Amino acid sequence: MTLPTAETRPTVETLLTVEGLAAGYGQARVLHGVDLEIGKGEAVVVLGANGAGKTTTMRALAGLLPYTGRVGFEGQALGGLRPDAIVSRGVSLVPQGRGTFSHLTVLENLHVGAAMRRDKDGIREDVERWCSVFPVLAERSRQAAGTLSGGEQQMLAVARALMSRPRLLLCDEPSLGLAPRVVAGLFEVLARVNREEGVALLIVEQNAELALSIAHRVYLLEVGRVVASGTADDFRGDETIRRAYLGY
Amino acid sequence: MDIFLERLFDGLTNGAVYAIMALALVVVFRSTGTINFAQGEMALFTTYIAWWLTTIGVPLWAGTVAAAGVGFLLGAVVERTLIRPVRRRSDMATLIVALGLFTAFNALAGLLWNSETKPMPSLFPSGLKDYLSVGGARLYIDALGVWLVVIALIGAVFLLFNRTRLGLHMRAVAGNPESAALSGVRTGRILMLGWGLAGIVGSLAGVLVTPLSPQQLSLQTMFPILIYASAAALFGGLDSPMGAVVGGLVIGVLEALITGYVEFIGGTLPQTAALVVIVLILLLRPTGLFGTRQMERL
Repeated sequence: MTLPTAETRPTVETLLTVEGLAAGYGQARVLHGVDLEIGKGEAVVVLGANGAGKTTTMRALAGLLPYTGRVGFEGQALGGLRPDAIVSRGVSLVPQGRGTFSHLTVLENLHVGAAMRRDKDGIREDVERWCSVFPVLAERSRQAAGTLSGGEQQMLAVARALMSRPRLLLCDEPSLGLAPRVVAGLFEVLARVNREEGVALLIVEQNAELALSIAHRVYLLEVGRVVASGTADDFRGDETIRRAYLGY
Repeated sequence: MDIFLERLFDGLTNGAVYAIMALALVVVFRSTGTINFAQGEMALFTTYIAWWLTTIGVPLWAGTVAAAGVGFLLGAVVERTLIRPVRRRSDMATLIVALGLFTAFNALAGLLWNSETKPMPSLFPSGLKDYLSVGGARLYIDALGVWLVVIALIGAVFLLFNRTRLGLHMRAVAGNPESAALSGVRTGRILMLGWGLAGIVGSLAGVLVTPLSPQQLSLQTMFPILIYASAAALFGGLDSPMGAVVGGLVIGVLEALITGYVEFIGGTLPQTAALVVIVLILLLRPTGLFGTRQMERL
């Protein structure tokens, strides 16, 4: 198998460095030393089969799981920090299965997303901005989040995560359980956030075709290790990968 | 008619106290998702502190403030040191710790202040002549005082939950602790504050209710009140402050009217009646009158 290497990475300033990340649940080790890097403003996708450790990687990075190995963000170590501290450093996770507050209104959800910010005016501006990016949120601003459709909840989850003004947004399977049309809209917005706001993305996705369409670079995870990395074009061009993950 | 009104006033007054105690349960439930069965005994302990301060010459209002302060610290410390370490394991473990605290605080109060009944002074004029005449019935000033405190307290809790950042964060943590942490909410601090706040509310309930209680201040004062308050909180919906208040008033009035008019229930049976209410609610409408059903569309 001729796999692309990471040497084709564009020369941008490094934002996140992960070295030898190992984590698991109780006795079960899921990650056996994951290495990856994300540049400033870059959109990176992690592909891999079920059980490869994609979600575990995301949860470890967000501070929800203890791990060994080194994680550096903007030159500072994130290891051992609580989730709320990691958010205030500029890393925000949209967890798998949305993670909205179903009993709070849409507006309240957005305000919780700004939990560690103190700039009232900035928070109000951001609420307005994300409501204009996701018009459905403006329409339903006073509705309980639990009454929204799956797609609307996912938009809310992304907007909520952006309310903390992250430099790196982690998205765990954003397309899970959504209709194809809704997914396309969601990825359009993610691409726009990446392009216009300069927010770096790390997206874990089953829908590889769609993920590659907005990604600069790709990592392939197998049984808790990175086995390949390269640009999105490298991956599309590699026949083995195309057959295994893109299905054509 | 005047007998009916007096029984109604009695019921509303007791109900108001059940309502505040239920409010304390709701505050903890909303922020931590667990029922703190030790709430009553923690309140008993701080009420003893208020009483003890009056015996060394401190005015009762100052003693009440002190009791509320100790209640806050007690709640916060208990959450941080005893509840948080076991909460991650299971809800059952939390429940057992709460039951342990129940006996511990009761025993500690007995140890410090012995088991004799103490006459508890009232925050409001409580002489036999301190009453207003309403429709031929007597409405005592101290009952009126209890009503006012309850109304103020409910207003404060409502504002806290619905109009402040802290309240919003408390509701977020109660609904989805993991997402709250991922949003940057310091969940540990929120839980501690929630328990502390419930400690304040509980302490006020204790100081208000003991002068009205036939048992005055004794080691048994708070237990029946916790039973009624639990019934009230369940009746109204465990996550609804409004529900706690309505539930408390309904249970208080029912208690007064039933013991007044249905002779065979008087005496010790009202507590059983409250337990029957709890069982019926759990069977028929587990979310209570005002509780929110978990709504989720996938």
